[in-house]
Amino acid sequence: MIVSTREAVFGRVLLVVLMVVTVLPFVSLFLTALHPPGTYPAGLAWPDDPHWSNFVLAFQSAGMGRLLLSSVLIVAGVVPLSLLIATLAGFALGHLRPPGGRAIFIAFILGLTLPFEGVIIPLYYQMRDLGLLNTRWAIILPLIGLYMPFAVFWMRAHFVNMPEDLSEAARIDGAGTWVLFWRIHVPLSVPALSSLAILLFLWTWNQFLLAVVLVDDPTKRTMAGALGAFQGQWGTDIPLLCAGSLLILTPTLAVFLIFQRKFVAALLQGSLKG
Amino acid sequence: MLLAVASAAGCSSPGSTAGEDAPDQETPAVAGGTGEAPDCGTEPVTLDAYFETGFPLPSVLAEEFSTQYPNVTFDIREDQFAVLTQNAPRVLADDPPDLMRLPQVSNLAEDGLLKNLDPYAEAFGWDEWPASQLEQLRVDEEGRRGDGPLYAMGLNYSLTGVFYNKQLAEQIGMTEPPSTLAELDAALQAAKDAGLTPMAQFNGGATGGLAFPLQALMASYGDPAEINDWIFQSEGATIQTPENVEAAEHLQRWVDAGYFADDVNSLDYAMMMSRFIGGESVFIFNGDWESGNLDEQMPGNVGFFLMPPLEEGGTFGAMSAPLTFGIAEGAENADCAAFFLDWVATDEAARTIGVEVGGSHPMGPADAFMPEVDPDTVTAQTLEAGAALGEQDGAMDFIANATGSIYAKGWTPNLQKLVAGEQDPEGLLAAVQAEYETEAGN
Amino acid sequence: MTQIDVGSAAGGVGQAGVEAGTQSRRRALRARRLRRGGVAYALIVPAALAYALFVLRPLGLTLQFSFYEWDGITPSTWVGLANYGALLTDPTLFGPILNAFELIVFFSFIPVALGLLTANLIRGIATSRLAVVARTVLFLPQVIPLVAAGIMWSWQLSTNGVVNQILRLVGLDAVTRAWLGDFDTALGAVGVIGAWVLLGLCMLLLLAGMTKIDPALYEAARIDGAGPVREFFAITLPSLRQEVAVCLTVTIIAALASFDIVYISTQGGPGNSTLVPGLEIYYLAFFEREVGMASALAVALMVLVLAVVLPLQWLNRESDR
Repeated sequence: MIVSTREAVFGRVLLVVLMVVTVLPFVSLFLTALHPPGTYPAGLAWPDDPHWSNFVLAFQSAGMGRLLLSSVLIVAGVVPLSLLIATLAGFALGHLRPPGGRAIFIAFILGLTLPFEGVIIPLYYQMRDLGLLNTRWAIILPLIGLYMPFAVFWMRAHFVNMPEDLSEAARIDGAGTWVLFWRIHVPLSVPALSSLAILLFLWTWNQFLLAVVLVDDPTKRTMAGALGAFQGQWGTDIPLLCAGSLLILTPTLAVFLIFQRKFVAALLQGSLKG
Repeated sequence: MLLAVASAAGCSSPGSTAGEDAPDQETPAVAGGTGEAPDCGTEPVTLDAYFETGFPLPSVLAEEFSTQYPNVTFDIREDQFAVLTQNAPRVLADDPPDLMRLPQVSNLAEDGLLKNLDPYAEAFGWDEWPASQLEQLRVDEEGRRGDGPLYAMGLNYSLTGVFYNKQLAEQIGMTEPPSTLAELDAALQAAKDAGLTPMAQFNGGATGGLAFPLQALMASYGDPAEINDWIFQSEGATIQTPENVEAAEHLQRWVDAGYFADDVNSLDYAMMMSRFIGGESVFIFNGDWESGNLDEQMPGNVGFFLMPPLEEGGTFGAMSAPLTFGIAEGAENADCAAFFLDWVATDEAARTIGVEVGGSHPMGPADAFMPEVDPDTVTAQTLEAGAALGEQDGAMDFIANATGSIYAKGWTPNLQKLVAGEQDPEGLLAAVQAEYETEAGN
Repeated sequence: MTQIDVGSAAGGVGQAGVEAGTQSRRRALRARRLRRGGVAYALIVPAALAYALFVLRPLGLTLQFSFYEWDGITPSTWVGLANYGALLTDPTLFGPILNAFELIVFFSFIPVALGLLTANLIRGIATSRLAVVARTVLFLPQVIPLVAAGIMWSWQLSTNGVVNQILRLVGLDAVTRAWLGDFDTALGAVGVIGAWVLLGLCMLLLLAGMTKIDPALYEAARIDGAGPVREFFAITLPSLRQEVAVCLTVTIIAALASFDIVYISTQGGPGNSTLVPGLEIYYLAFFEREVGMASALAVALMVLVLAVVLPLQWLNRESDR
């Protein structure tokens, strides 16, 4: 590739500027979190006397341990089950291809562009009638349904690309569909499954609308929902709010940094396919 | 396809079964009806409570109550007032708390979401208190307030007016509170000339705090009783009176003169308090629920006065309302919650907390116990102002309490527009009246 | 998107069978496919059930509610199309829709345009270590909850925030203001938050697309004496049609269905200047208890999303062929 040095330098500078703009809000949040509680710090400034204790204070007053547990429980309820049923459906639609499968598939992908606002009102009454309002189930159950268009789409795309020969060979060896699925296809699907798992984890953790509407108690919400409630309760104390927000951000940031390569790839693919 | 799904989803119209479950307002099932006053018993009870963020009074009272009655614990959830206002109908209907800070009671009572407290009032003798204390909490069958069954109780009786920073006031030559509106105007101008922010009033987000000065101005120009009629949804009441237009125009002049902070439309309540306490605002329109807090944060440096009348010695009014708490119709521990409300008004320790932490006059009989208050505190000044207001009969409820969403849909957006020059005084009142009629008409 | 078109590949396999094998083998294959059909339906059932119960059923109910006046508690009244009529005539109801379209400029056009520009400039160094670090950093806004983005930026855009601090530093004191509290700037300020969240995603998507372009194309263009501008329009942009369509789809949905950021930063104020359909649906349904009206707005929102997004999908498909 022919690129002049001047262009390369310009590209680098631009990239650095973009990175600064991206990071600035995080820095601002962090510095503000170190100011004395109850004050209104002005802009970016290192405090004279950094209040590291704000993090402890925010952790305790927000009951951060319980919030974390709640989000983990919700993710544990949503992600494995979604993966399982989407994989089954994706395998059926992408590999077994029953008659009418295409119509079923189209019915699923119609839901891909659906804004959650479109179903939130009936979901509220549905959850109320089931007596699930204010429980984690009110978030878990609808999310599984709402993730199906994307998850089935994703897994079907994976199975469609699996060579037919593979299954034919196994069938000749006398393997039934079930064995074929668990012994051959699932192990080969680990990359597709783990990318999907990452996406679903992220979307669940950051889900706000469902949490706000269906669950009033912040300790039964997702992290994003809890953060909303945290703002409601501590919006009166900016440094504490910032400290709490940072604490709430930490788990996703940590997961992101650990799996970053996978993460970026999954998100890029996810948006390309979705 | 959608139609097919719609018909599969059920042929009945939404809400068609809810009617059967709707609470029966005619026959409230209350133990108090027997004449025996209910209490919290001796078994462990957990009161499910929903309070307002930033105001410690209810929680402090709850703590004291749990000390006196160890079998009772509180499960407290808090939200900011705007959130709580919006949440109220939904929470009362679907997740009924035993004790809840209420915004506006008429729609809630009309919809059968609140417990009728009349049997408790009889059992505890609340109906022997000065009638004016509970007037705002009574709602008739038409949803009008002022008369009818009691649907809520107050923790105390709050009062609003103008707080000022004594040091800053001295700096601008204001040695005593203004006695006419013109004097207040002059003081505001003096503050402006001295390079100070006259009023860092909150008006941002979902909270149109300019409703405080506006209503105060309405009471100076007009008759508080008429404003109350409007708030209570009396037949034919309108906010578009000539006096109210004058009041709104006066507010507009304050805006134009730059008496409010530049960023008034993005200031929230907490930021207002922080600036006032930090000496960045000479005056604020606020209520005596902050008295205790201000006495602690800036001792001896805060003064309070009621909005002055147009002419010296003229009539005046002030927003004064019970700190309203109610019991959900579906509450599990209604008796215990009612007992708590009675305790707040009658127990000496509770009344002391009400004054020292709450800063306002407790509810209850006129001759009930009152704690000693240091005369140098702003708490003493607000209590005194409350007495003066009582003599004038100038108490009004808050104009934001007229209907369930008049604040969010009427006052807040239009006051924000007024500040930005996108709404004029007459348009403001017309827009609010239109919103009022759509809601009250229902 | 190519995968969607592979659905009919089963037919292709069947044909191969005819050429290769005997009649009986073909019959056996068909029988197996039928048997497999039964299993396949069984495997689809759980996903279909979840989808039907928590997406299709609510979807149908939203449509049904939209023809009623209902407060969520007492029995409802059939009002036909009255809610939709109000939607077209009441400015507080269609105002949010206009606001959402204005947000598209910020959520969608700016990230895509800026993303194209920057990705093009960065293309040359796409494999350097700096670019690898940038991939991580620019992704941060995608990873955090939008609520957190809203909190961070509300604070930055406030009177004493970083934005005004920087403006004062460069002598632009006159333009400093409470960005989220000013009628003229609030919607734009909300838009900036969205642009911040979405720029990194768009840029990286486009950059990934660019690395797939055959370098020989560029070399040929340079030999022909094409400048960077012509090169961009003649080679880069046409090759990126799919990526651009994807960026536009994702960001436009984000703009039209925005909720989290507005809920946190302005609650729709000042006035109603930042009210968006998502927030108005929420207010109407759960606070003002006008469930029917809220549902009508929800239906309108979904129709709008489809109306904007479906044409983009055709653009996307065209580019596949």
